[in-house]
Amino acid sequence: MKTYSRLALLGLLAALFYARPAVAQLDPFEFEVYPAKTVPRGMLEVESLNSVVTNGSRHGEKGTAKGTLPSQSMWRTAVEVTYGLTDHIEAAAYLNLAKPRGGDLQYAGSKFRLRGSLFDPGELPVDLGWYAELAYARTPKFDDQKLELELRPIFQRDIGDFSLIASPKFEKILVGSEAKEGWEFGYVSGVYYRWMRAFMPGLEFYGAIGMMKHPDPVREQQHYIFAVAKGEWRGIEYSFGPGFGLTHGSDRVIAKFNIGLEKYIGALFGPSSGGLF
Amino acid sequence: MKYLMIALNLALLAAGGPAWAAPADETVVELRYENRKFVPQTLNVPANRPFKIKIVNAGKEAIEFESFKINREKVVGPGETATISVPALKAGSYDFYDDFHRDVPEGTIVAK
Repeated sequence: MKTYSRLALLGLLAALFYARPAVAQLDPFEFEVYPAKTVPRGMLEVESLNSVVTNGSRHGEKGTAKGTLPSQSMWRTAVEVTYGLTDHIEAAAYLNLAKPRGGDLQYAGSKFRLRGSLFDPGELPVDLGWYAELAYARTPKFDDQKLELELRPIFQRDIGDFSLIASPKFEKILVGSEAKEGWEFGYVSGVYYRWMRAFMPGLEFYGAIGMMKHPDPVREQQHYIFAVAKGEWRGIEYSFGPGFGLTHGSDRVIAKFNIGLEKYIGALFGPSSGGLF
Repeated sequence: MKYLMIALNLALLAAGGPAWAAPADETVVELRYENRKFVPQTLNVPANRPFKIKIVNAGKEAIEFESFKINREKVVGPGETATISVPALKAGSYDFYDDFHRDVPEGTIVAK
């Protein structure tokens, strides 16, 4: 009887393992670390977020590939339009495009998000922000799940000429085969040396560990470190640099290049009277 | 009841800002923007103590007060007033400017 019980338990564990959701995933269309402060009230920002996997996987659903198309040589571009609604809240929409190796540039998904800051910079010992995003993905080529909710707190602390930003990510599939699963956990973080406005070197960290209740084995998790240069030159904001995968489940090398323009177009609302809106 | 208390505290914070961040003796310096220039152009503040800058836009166009050195930026519409918190600065000079109108003469914060 004991043997049967053990076999049954092994079978159940095997079934659970087989039924586990896809490995930990991060958002490969957005290698960007958001600060606690938002786009200023009345400001319109248009950004192009670009990355290419120079050394990735030749199979789908590996590395940064969330869908059936492999990550190797995949170009990704997100066009992001952001508007500062108030002194503390901004709204953004994204159009995600991708060009797989040997294929054409094609629609990969869309995202909408709100981001906010709690109080003005310097009013709290640690500057606080929040981030809420709804992401639609084109399946099965670019993702295995259709609709996802992402929530993040943002913590920022300036120490001398250094800015430290940490942002844990909590993701929930809303529409897709894993909609009944729990929350996934990941992170987006960065440290920058504020040398000059036109040039700030830094390190950025992106990662995903899988489901919070049963994280993927470390080997299968995705963790990346990017060496970046960012800044603003003649009104153009930029951020670029190579990223390196730190685990077997990560792509080996990714290059990112983000560029953005800001223009004040007028505010819908007056100045904030409190710290939340 | 617990959620009511949390909501009440959040409402109070939203209405008045965090009380721990504004000690009674905190220095507040006023900076006016009028006739396409900052007045005064030099803000004298105590070194090694946090302070606030009250920005009054008496002009007819929106401005963006910005200082890379102190990592602050704030849009202030015409006729509006905004206040920013600045951390304790080491003795020295820190420039600021109107990022919307780069032809406006820059100003300087002098901490001493």
